Amino acid sequence: MPEWLNIVVRSIVSLAYLFILTKLIGKRQLSQMTVFDYIAGITVGDIAAFTATNMDGPMLHGFIALTIFALFPVAMGLLAVKSKKVRDIVDGKGTVLIKHGKILEDNLKKERMSTDELLEQLRLKNAFQVSNVEFAVMEPNGAVSVLLKSQNEPLTPKHMGFTVSPTTEPQTVIMDGNIMQESLATIGLNNGWLLAELEKLGVSLDNVFLGQVDSNAELYVDLYDDVIKVPEPQTLKLTYFTLKKCQADIELFALSTKDQAAKMLFSTSAERLQRVIDRVTPLMTR
Amino acid sequence: MTVSSQVKQTMASLKSAHANLETFALNTQNEQAKQLYTQAAQDTQSIVSALENRVNDIESEEPQYKGF
Repeated sequence: MPEWLNIVVRSIVSLAYLFILTKLIGKRQLSQMTVFDYIAGITVGDIAAFTATNMDGPMLHGFIALTIFALFPVAMGLLAVKSKKVRDIVDGKGTVLIKHGKILEDNLKKERMSTDELLEQLRLKNAFQVSNVEFAVMEPNGAVSVLLKSQNEPLTPKHMGFTVSPTTEPQTVIMDGNIMQESLATIGLNNGWLLAELEKLGVSLDNVFLGQVDSNAELYVDLYDDVIKVPEPQTLKLTYFTLKKCQADIELFALSTKDQAAKMLFSTSAERLQRVIDRVTPLMTR
Repeated sequence: MTVSSQVKQTMASLKSAHANLETFALNTQNEQAKQLYTQAAQDTQSIVSALENRVNDIESEEPQYKGF
């Protein structure tokens, strides 16, 4: 066998083997790599290249070294899942940079992080003023996580004491004019329902680019023809306002009747209806 | 419009709202929302029955306005 053919065979074989090994190591992103992944990655590439071009020894020797280097991080990963101690060594620990609103200069030095860098990382997390930060930690992968002081945290419905409608993820039921049977079945609906809804909106299936069903089983569509205005689903709002109207009517009856028993009945009904409305308001309007 | 027909109209609207609430309860995939809707539908139903009683009373007092 001529030498060049030998190299071709070696290259292809080691490439194929390298591919299999890489699949074994798994799909961790580069940023999530541990120290061992990093070391193994460099070395494995080098060994593979060496095996391909070095004609002296048998290929098997190269493959043995490759296997060990590739499987070592896998084994360490498995161990790390089991034990916290191993995890601390393999993955490393986070370093606290700011605690109780005070910068820990020693830890900054340990991570070789300059003040400018710290400020830059904080700004990336929308903390332009250090006094707004309660706690910041450098994660093992090098990113900085920031906890703002509670008065600087973004406002949420919880802060305002609002009850909001519980939502589940919407399902995409129409894509490029085709019905997605699987996602339709996931929410317990069928073709008949979908076609009826489209009829209600007055659009044909071919014209729909995208259709989504929200947790209230209301259909929202985007059409190819952007000139056509699609009516928004109204049943929820309509029902809400019907309830409100009925409540006002009953209150009016309570005011206008002279019969004491009837007044009583109407006013208690009005109150009860008001309670019903209060309960469903977050569901139907937010 | 007589009083009884006004009450009847409100009752009809409330019945429709009740039916819608039950539809929402059936349609929603979220357990918490389902429960809230079901409860609201039940309460609405009991208010409808209260109004119904009142309509019956009015009609027995003034039978000439019976019917729609």
